[in-house]
Amino acid sequence: MTKINSSGLILLIARLAVAATFLMAALPKLQAPLEFAESVSAFQLIGPVASLWVAITLPWLELISGIGLVIPQIRRSSAFIISLLLLLFIGLHVSAWNRGLDISCGCFGAHEDLTADYTWPILRNVILLCATIAIAIRDFRHHSRLKTPKA
Amino acid sequence: MFDQGDQRHSLFIVRSIFKELLCIIGLTFIGAAYGLLSGLSPKPWAKPELPAGAIHFADANVLNPIWLDARPVELFEQGHIEGALWLDPEDWESGIPTLMDTWLQNPRPIVIYCSSETCNTSRSIAKQMRDALPQAEIYYMEGGWSHD
Repeated sequence: MTKINSSGLILLIARLAVAATFLMAALPKLQAPLEFAESVSAFQLIGPVASLWVAITLPWLELISGIGLVIPQIRRSSAFIISLLLLLFIGLHVSAWNRGLDISCGCFGAHEDLTADYTWPILRNVILLCATIAIAIRDFRHHSRLKTPKA
Repeated sequence: MFDQGDQRHSLFIVRSIFKELLCIIGLTFIGAAYGLLSGLSPKPWAKPELPAGAIHFADANVLNPIWLDARPVELFEQGHIEGALWLDPEDWESGIPTLMDTWLQNPRPIVIYCSSETCNTSRSIAKQMRDALPQAEIYYMEGGWSHD
């Protein structure tokens, strides 16, 4: 049986938390793509048609990366993609805050409070990013130890 | 210095990550394609459906609504839809008494507009106003309005 030490347990909890967050973020968007497209459009960075394409593909990427984080075969790349997405989300929120946009986050679908509060979404994404980076580092080290190519 | 073993190992890691990424991207596209084909997602190339609570100018005009202009006052002064009332986008609640006077004299739909397609103010105000005035029929105008 594999022995799990305390840091391993913390990382396992972090992995499950990040995966669950991405699943919870993806499912409402998949159910209401039009509303999510409106949230994307409200950031005023891309047009309505491009927003709709984002609303169609991004929730699937979130869903598969979220699930992928707990699948050993694809968990490194899932962590990498989640990190990139979180960096993108942080950048978008900072940009919207800087431009004084009064918009909802749209992070968990469109059924959110419309009052813009950027502090919590940015802080939450920074925490998730730190957790994902820690998970990715562990996965890379673990994978390197396990699979060394034969000469 | 990297020896051959290290180089082979690095190449192996890059290749395996590349395969993983391809797998995730492939699954994402399969999911998106499923959404489009099953009708779960709207087709971007089709005429977009109007979201709930939104209305086009032509349809709103037929209703002879109370127009609420939620653009900055400078834009309102430059030009607005005939008969529109100005609503301070920063403090829309202050416009409620005037709006109620107009609405009580002749109850009809209320349509809020701002300046562009991506403007979110009218949608946001319409949502909050529906909670404040549940008996009124309130829309926001899709596409916004500008004085051109």
